[in-house]
Amino acid sequence: MDPRKIIICRCEEVTLADVLEAIEKGYTDLESLKRYLRIGMGPCQGTHCIPIVLRILRRATGKNVGELMLPTSRPPLHPVQAKYFLGGDNH
Amino acid sequence: MRYDVAVIGAGINGVYTALELLDRGIKKIVIIEKNYPGSGGTFRCATGIRASFTSREHVVLMKRSIEKWKELSNRFGFPFVQGGYVWLLSREEHLKNFKEYVRFHHSLGVPTRVVKPDEIKELVPTIRTDTLVAGVHDPIAGKSNPFTALLNVLGYLKKSGVEVRYPEKAEKIIVENGEAKGVLTERERIGAETILVAAGYGSRDILRTCGVDAPINNLPKHALITEKYMEVFKPLLVDWETASYMVQTVSGGFLIGAELEEEYNKPPMNRIEFLYTAVKIWSKYFDWFPSTHIIRYWTGYYVMTPDHHPILGPVKDVEGLYVSTGFSGHGFMIAPAASEAVAEWIVRGKPRIREAENLTIDRFKEGKLIHEIAVFG
Repeated sequence: MDPRKIIICRCEEVTLADVLEAIEKGYTDLESLKRYLRIGMGPCQGTHCIPIVLRILRRATGKNVGELMLPTSRPPLHPVQAKYFLGGDNH
Repeated sequence: MRYDVAVIGAGINGVYTALELLDRGIKKIVIIEKNYPGSGGTFRCATGIRASFTSREHVVLMKRSIEKWKELSNRFGFPFVQGGYVWLLSREEHLKNFKEYVRFHHSLGVPTRVVKPDEIKELVPTIRTDTLVAGVHDPIAGKSNPFTALLNVLGYLKKSGVEVRYPEKAEKIIVENGEAKGVLTERERIGAETILVAAGYGSRDILRTCGVDAPINNLPKHALITEKYMEVFKPLLVDWETASYMVQTVSGGFLIGAELEEEYNKPPMNRIEFLYTAVKIWSKYFDWFPSTHIIRYWTGYYVMTPDHHPILGPVKDVEGLYVSTGFSGHGFMIAPAASEAVAEWIVRGKPRIREAENLTIDRFKEGKLIHEIAVFG
């Protein structure tokens, strides 16, 4: 299948071709790939795309998972509407 | 291999200084990064760029930076949007102070001006201004994308033969007879004629290995970003009452920073009250804000010096050792100008912008701290 038609990151519309091209350019750790392609920076926060990119990267570079620099998970785990922090007893 | 220059730290200032050196004909450059490029302050920053400061040193360097942001963004294909800054003032006494700052900006050619609430509404569609007495608009300020601003340049450097080593921790600066000789990393000894320490807060520890004391302290900071939305407004906004800012980044998310009381040099921790504080401040201005989705909350830090100005340039006691750190929250925006100044220092002994010479590390020993007319954002 055409790698330009395989979507890896739905939030930021990144294809397999984009990922392979970035690896080719030398972005061979997840932290750098994340900033370069914006994978993991959309609403899913990487829960869908990062494991997929991790596998692609491991195959392409032969590095082990520990060397691939898994991005830090940040709160919230899922997008939360700002209104839930508008006040009440917690503030 | 012996290098002409070893740069410790692949943040925006280390990377941009390497670029300026390469542009001046220095070929053998190595950048040593303990984590990954951009991993300190650069990739966590608020993305804003302005020259409206309250010291001559900051204004002059930041004006140069804005010129260079235009050049570099064209050359390396990343965004620089000159969307301005707007300070939102809710008290008469703040307006009075800001009128003085505006006069100071004008004396140095920065065209800020006081704007009435109606004009704020034009600059910032959908904002509520009923709590405001006025605003201050800086039309030459802007914003960029820290990811591509760093990675595009780094890609060019690698293609041009600059060696970028990461993750590899620099552990010691080697000095013999008062001259810098190289860097000892966790892997090996790297010989270099000139060493630039551009390692953010890490600069303190690495400089200590050759007896240099950098008075820098890490101040934890908090920021959040929402999902991407279509463009609502261009300027970066500062709510002066709370020192909170909001910017719609070039990628479309609303990025907000708000002040929490923090202690120096403690590891930044997530604190739920940050979300309450940030949402409360900005929901007052935008009726739509409560319906946006917050997707990420992260922490970072300002690497503070006693006078809130960077440490740039040579270290008197060690021949061949240069420093670029302590940006006190403004390292991203000043990077093009600071890097140019440091590269000029390395290549021809002094920076073109004279004011940069006031920022060397020796100013702390000599008691020549930078004077600001106010501490301002």
